Amino acid sequence: MRKYPNPMNPNVVGVDVLDRGLDTEGRLHSHRLLSTEWGLPAIVRAILGTNHTQTYVKEHSIVDPEEKKMELCSTNITLTNFISVDERLLYRPHPENPEVTILTQEAIITVKGVSLSSYLEGMMARRMSANARKGCSSTVMTSLPVYSL
Amino acid sequence: MNSVGESCTDLKRDYDQCFNRWFAEKFLKGDRSEDPCTETFRKYQRCVQKAIKEKDIPVDGVEFMGPNKDKPES
Repeated sequence: MRKYPNPMNPNVVGVDVLDRGLDTEGRLHSHRLLSTEWGLPAIVRAILGTNHTQTYVKEHSIVDPEEKKMELCSTNITLTNFISVDERLLYRPHPENPEVTILTQEAIITVKGVSLSSYLEGMMARRMSANARKGCSSTVMTSLPVYSL
Repeated sequence: MNSVGESCTDLKRDYDQCFNRWFAEKFLKGDRSEDPCTETFRKYQRCVQKAIKEKDIPVDGVEFMGPNKDKPES
């Protein structure tokens, strides 16, 4: 529950819980709204046609205390005409060594209607891969093998 | 970490403290007793929903890739 604030990913500036509850299997579901500050230069904002400097992300997380798993799914809800980043992270104990946590991260990045699409998708993918490695060392308990992207 | 609605940050802190205590001391230890934070959450939510409307944040109607599990009963 304390993925943010994270000194290695200073972009998240606001977090709110929108909804939270237990399901019939005793797992805790939370829906959160995150606001992120990208520090976009003015020219990029002009291209995107936005005056807003913040983008918003909706996140659904599930904590399973019995299986010791946590799953996070997030997607951006602004700039959706331009790009869509759907991310899923799953933290679970290593099947052979429960002292170790495995993080699996997947992302589907779709850039819409822009000729730079494959360049931007590649850039986003590389950035997320780098961030996943940084994030793992600061948010998770012990050393872990990372299977990402 | 601040709230998305600046004026809601204090209410958020109150709720977060309540929730974090319940989460660490009860939930993770397998205690299924009722979480005591409903009232704090309600106050906090009123503020947040107002801020979301004011900032015109499109929280509804977004599809997730979704976890590969059964959907909960809400």
